[in-house]
Amino acid sequence: MTTTSLVPAASELAQADPSPTVAVTGPGLLSLRVQAVETAADGVRTVTLTGADGGALPAHPPGSHLVLHCGGRRNAYSLTGCGTRPRSYTVSVLLLGDGQGGSRWVHGLQPGDHVLADRPRSAFAPVATARHHLLIAGGIGITPLLSHARAARRWQRSFELLYGYRPGAGAHLPELRELCGPRLLELPQLPDFLAAVEARLVASPVGTHVYACGPAAMLDAVLERADELGWPQERVHTERFSAADLDPGAPFRAVLRRSGRRVPVPSGVSLLTALEGAGVPVPNLCRQGVCGECRVGVLAGAPLHRDLFLSDEEKAAGDSVMCCVSRSEDPDLELDL
Amino acid sequence: MGIEHTSVPRWPADAPPFDPRARSATVLALCADAEPVAAAWAAAGGAAGVPVSSCTGDLEQALRHLDADMAGAVVGWRLLVAGPEAEVLRVRARATELGAVGSEVLAHVTGVPSRRVLCVHCDAVTETDEPVGGTVACAGCGHDLHLYHHVSRRLGAYLGFLTDAEERDPAGAVLETR
Repeated sequence: MTTTSLVPAASELAQADPSPTVAVTGPGLLSLRVQAVETAADGVRTVTLTGADGGALPAHPPGSHLVLHCGGRRNAYSLTGCGTRPRSYTVSVLLLGDGQGGSRWVHGLQPGDHVLADRPRSAFAPVATARHHLLIAGGIGITPLLSHARAARRWQRSFELLYGYRPGAGAHLPELRELCGPRLLELPQLPDFLAAVEARLVASPVGTHVYACGPAAMLDAVLERADELGWPQERVHTERFSAADLDPGAPFRAVLRRSGRRVPVPSGVSLLTALEGAGVPVPNLCRQGVCGECRVGVLAGAPLHRDLFLSDEEKAAGDSVMCCVSRSEDPDLELDL
Repeated sequence: MGIEHTSVPRWPADAPPFDPRARSATVLALCADAEPVAAAWAAAGGAAGVPVSSCTGDLEQALRHLDADMAGAVVGWRLLVAGPEAEVLRVRARATELGAVGSEVLAHVTGVPSRRVLCVHCDAVTETDEPVGGTVACAGCGHDLHLYHHVSRRLGAYLGFLTDAEERDPAGAVLETR
């Protein structure tokens, strides 16, 4: 599953080399080797990776993702293991004809290939205090929820998994059946899937947390319905494949408090890109408003929030902005940079 | 950690409004002063067609009522509790223990006539009318405790520790009395 895609400009995407390349190893990078590849469903390739030197791999919370260095780009894929003392990392990747080349690159991997990755990152972890975990997966969105289900079994947490998929296209079904038993509801017919989700949102015991991953329309529907039914935001957790396409936005100016510099941000150029162009580095990862890495403090001016990371309350506070996608309502946006 | 980072709750002067998205609610009044606020919440719930389960009484009655309601509640439920701070904190701690999240618990504090102080050395809880920053004798181990500006949401109590911990025997044997 692709959660984020890390190339800034569309023009570079077309040039992305789909063949595996070995990049320069930097600090904190994991050097991995492909142990096995198999087909999990139509168009879905499961890749198992081990430490290239046979060494131990970092543990991770359930629902984490691994950022693979795919040739000239970096793509994030959900880890399907439970994350406790992992001997290997496994990702399952759907081949996307209209994607940006990362899935094609993964589908080209062969056993023995060398792969670089960042350490696993957690943005979709189970809540330890939950009394019940309701897992909702649409299509290839099953991958982080397979991780959740494994962890829930391991730690004997109360859970249920609703899995909606196109008939014949369900990935990981045999292991899910064995893992979950009656806690797995297979729902290959869309109306059945929607009815099952609705029934759970209407009547889940207090203490339930929802974890949903799938197409954007499915996640939006879950969020909207949960909100209507009085679910607090803290109980509803979603993992998106990628952010929606955003309009180019109006031009504005970033005013940097510490240096006193003024950086123009033209329409069609992100604040992050403009800052980088002006020689002002900002830590960043996904460049899609998902990961939260590029958060910058706002000292004056009203941010135009377009990210998926900040909560509604944080957005209303207006004191920080995810500079990869968000812009400014005002002509000037003063930043704590 | 300075006082500007305190976890001591800052209670708003006005009672929080009834959440119109609630699908059911429990309303608890823990003292006579809390009754008008609780009545207003119940009325707002009734006007919105939301089933409201109310209880006016002491802490033990309120906790029993809360336990019974939460056992059968589905997500969409809200708790509205009004009363003295010490009791409100204990009700909120119980609701949290049973799985409630922050935005599901709406609280109105009518006053702070007393505080519960948890001794980090012996785990005893002492009720006191000392202010934050004051000194209170622990009901468990008898040591003088500094009433620190930290409130545990989980335990519903203020943190207390020895006022003179640093001047004592460096071996520290007296510090662990539990």
